[in-house]
Amino acid sequence: MKALMSVAALIGVIGILLLTGMILDIVPSNTVRLVEGYMPMQVLFELTLFVAGFTGLSYMLGTMGMAFPRFWQGIAFWCFILLYLKFRVYPPIPFSVRAMYGTVSLIAVFMWVSANEEDWKKFKQPIMNILDAQSGANKLLRYAYLVLLPVLIGGFSYNAMVPKSEEPIELRTVHPAPPASTKVHGKTYTLQTSQNPYRVNLEGKFDQEYSNANIVEQGMGRLMKPNANPWDKDAKGYLKYVREGGEIFFQNCHFCHGDNLNGRGLHAFAFNPIPANFTDPGTIAQLQETFIFWRVAKGGIGLPNEGFPWASVMPPWEQHLTVDEIWKVILFEYWHTGYYPRTWD
Amino acid sequence: MNNSSSLKAGRLLTAAFGVVLIAGSTGGFAFADEALPEGFKKGELAPEPAAEMIEAGKRVYFTKCVWCHGVDGAGDGPSADRLWPRPRNFNQGTFKIRRTASGELPLFDAKKPTPGQNDLFETLTHGLPGSAMPSWEGILTEEQRLQVLSFVTTQLVKDRKFTDKQSEAQTVLQLDDLKPIPATEESITKGAELVKEKKCVECHGTEGRGDGNAFNLKDDWGFSIQPANWHKCWNFRGSRQDPYNVKNIFRTFSTGVNGTPMPSFADNSTVEERWHIANFVNSLCERKADGKPLDIDPLADKPKINFVVSSGVVEGEIPADPEHELWKNRARRYVAMGGQITHKPRNFVNRIDDIWVKSLYNDKHVVFMFQWDDRTKSVATGKLPWAPTEVNIDVKEQDPKTGEEGSIATHQNNYVVYNDAIAMETAVKWKELPSPIKPRYLFGSNEQYPVDIVKWEADGSLRAFEGTGWDKDFAERDTYEENIKILHSEWKDGRWTVIIQRPLGNKKDQDYDEDTFFEMGQYIPTVFFAWDGHNGDAGRKMAVSAFYYTFLEPPTPREAYIYPVVIAFGVVLLEGWVLTRRSNKRKGKTL
Repeated sequence: MKALMSVAALIGVIGILLLTGMILDIVPSNTVRLVEGYMPMQVLFELTLFVAGFTGLSYMLGTMGMAFPRFWQGIAFWCFILLYLKFRVYPPIPFSVRAMYGTVSLIAVFMWVSANEEDWKKFKQPIMNILDAQSGANKLLRYAYLVLLPVLIGGFSYNAMVPKSEEPIELRTVHPAPPASTKVHGKTYTLQTSQNPYRVNLEGKFDQEYSNANIVEQGMGRLMKPNANPWDKDAKGYLKYVREGGEIFFQNCHFCHGDNLNGRGLHAFAFNPIPANFTDPGTIAQLQETFIFWRVAKGGIGLPNEGFPWASVMPPWEQHLTVDEIWKVILFEYWHTGYYPRTWD
Repeated sequence: MNNSSSLKAGRLLTAAFGVVLIAGSTGGFAFADEALPEGFKKGELAPEPAAEMIEAGKRVYFTKCVWCHGVDGAGDGPSADRLWPRPRNFNQGTFKIRRTASGELPLFDAKKPTPGQNDLFETLTHGLPGSAMPSWEGILTEEQRLQVLSFVTTQLVKDRKFTDKQSEAQTVLQLDDLKPIPATEESITKGAELVKEKKCVECHGTEGRGDGNAFNLKDDWGFSIQPANWHKCWNFRGSRQDPYNVKNIFRTFSTGVNGTPMPSFADNSTVEERWHIANFVNSLCERKADGKPLDIDPLADKPKINFVVSSGVVEGEIPADPEHELWKNRARRYVAMGGQITHKPRNFVNRIDDIWVKSLYNDKHVVFMFQWDDRTKSVATGKLPWAPTEVNIDVKEQDPKTGEEGSIATHQNNYVVYNDAIAMETAVKWKELPSPIKPRYLFGSNEQYPVDIVKWEADGSLRAFEGTGWDKDFAERDTYEENIKILHSEWKDGRWTVIIQRPLGNKKDQDYDEDTFFEMGQYIPTVFFAWDGHNGDAGRKMAVSAFYYTFLEPPTPREAYIYPVVIAFGVVLLEGWVLTRRSNKRKGKTL
């Protein structure tokens, strides 16, 4: 038990040190990278870990006779969560969202300190001490609070009333519902039944299993399978089309979607929202190939009404590319990210 | 104290021993050691990477790198023709960012990813900001980065060999042992004199905006390149994602940039002089009003962006002089610009990648001051072959896959010169657009919800247009032009300053259906466009920003002074109540 608690205490101490380091800018907040697409789960996991750590820390301090009052535990814990959300996560979470998390964790802290009568008494004891003090430091503290509280609250309300400019928050429909069919270069494609004509096996037949076996491997780097090099001179069928798709991608798309298809291309920093990140499991991995075909062909211009704020500079690529080129680019995007397109069934 | 000095002595001894050893082993070349430039030491060539490393690196290369650098590493991958600067041609072993002396191969050791001892590894880790080369940290593991470099240095560098002791030597800048001279005013002044003396300004320009000799410089492969703009340190290739670090400038200045006209100044300047110059160059980089470095977004390696351009209120006339106190004290906003690649002619290489915007308003007008760096002042000489409203114009787009002949890099300095220009677009009837009140397309939603565009061109013209859709030509707005005014326009030492005045808009003099009404305290969607005439920018070949918001700062209302006092007083009353209650309770009394 004690061994377990001391391990937990160590985690707790590490947590506090890490946060202090991040606030003072000694430890870069991206020392442990936030995995794109899994950020909320990762942060939740880290916080849970530190909560366990703090339990251990509080227990260890207790056994060493340096018990930390419940009152300050509650406050310190809440501050930790607020600061962690502010300094750990990059790109930063907007204040309004942090305020929401802050409220939820405040309620949680309250439930914890008031779980039973005895705990609640312990929690409010320091407040009572200050209210009741007849002499000594606590009495001084009471007078200090008497002056400070009105000044602070007045200051905050002034601050809230002075006109300020903060970027309006934009909510966005990420994957708007697609139409049943789309007309590209004079031909109508039904989204439910169309297939990528280049997703073929060596016999030239549509074969998703074959292509899925030849995409890059998941894991750090997402490298191609050793025996499936699209740049091999003898590459035929699927892999050859992947290379052709890649050529088109790197002549047209990488400027925004990036050399690694992660939405961090040369021009990406200028746009808001930044271009789609295909390596994120929430984009092309969630969609059917024909959905991508429709989005690529029609671009930001072709977004339906419910797709606003429409702030997309994605060109309707039908104006720059042929149908074949679009299919090949899509083939390449799935190959390079190592995802399977979703099927309709 | 004692300890450290004995340590130093020990190091000195070892160093001296090393020099003797090297001198001994190279025999007749002893004099070469004496001739080493200040701050450099002889280094040893790294051993050949293991065969497995090279083989594993091939797999990394053909997944990630081949698309730009090409099958043979000749910098001719599919993307190459539309990039400027072009991807590196590895074949000659010419690498720009190094700690080794001019002309030498960079430091690379497949077993030692130590910062400061492995130039190529650091390039891969941090990328080359200002070019298409991204940072591969977090995408490739350390091991994978070393593997792919093993492959590149042994298989794709063809004309030289990293392990050949006969032909290669390494003279390494001891960057970590040299202590920077503090960037005092004295040091910066000395640096400012030295850049003139060393003729840096001939290429980099009087103000260091890279406008000195912008159009006659070529790299080793004959492609035109431009001198660095010292005011945008985040675009320095060698900034190692740490743009305000003076050591990076010191390094580039000491070792030169191989393959380009930028020489090494190690032989004709002392270490002290080099620190003064580095301090001066670093001091030019854009900073906040209080002199602190701009916040850099670690994901983009560019300054962080705030999308609200706030406009300050002025009593009376708004000054036309950019040096006026009101303008000088006004906060400026960084507006990032990307190439317009939605609509033909696409602008893959936008030479204007940011502008600085300030704004002031009074009871009648709102005024915008635009400042942006442009190495050349471009004014079209002849008459333009199209109407200024035309957007679907016929500027030929270069085909890719045409090799060096057709690439953007070769054409870069041979464009017909058009006008430099700047424009701002605001939504008309923005209040009626759905939240967050952005028009549907960059150039207006439709006839009913148009945008209003004000465009200034370097020939002195100021025009107003109406945009009604994504691929519609603009409509000229003669009725609005008499309401707008150009207060100031000047190109000096590589920077444009343009001040444009426009009406706030009111129901009496203006047309609600066609003009943007600027309302105090509201967020008005605003887009900025910029054209560089020497880049062949015309029509929709331009640089575009995302949607920003113009925000006219309301003056502080009187309530902001009254209510907080009332609230504070209420808190005092509440405190009194709590305390009385508590003390009564203690005394056993009840109220």
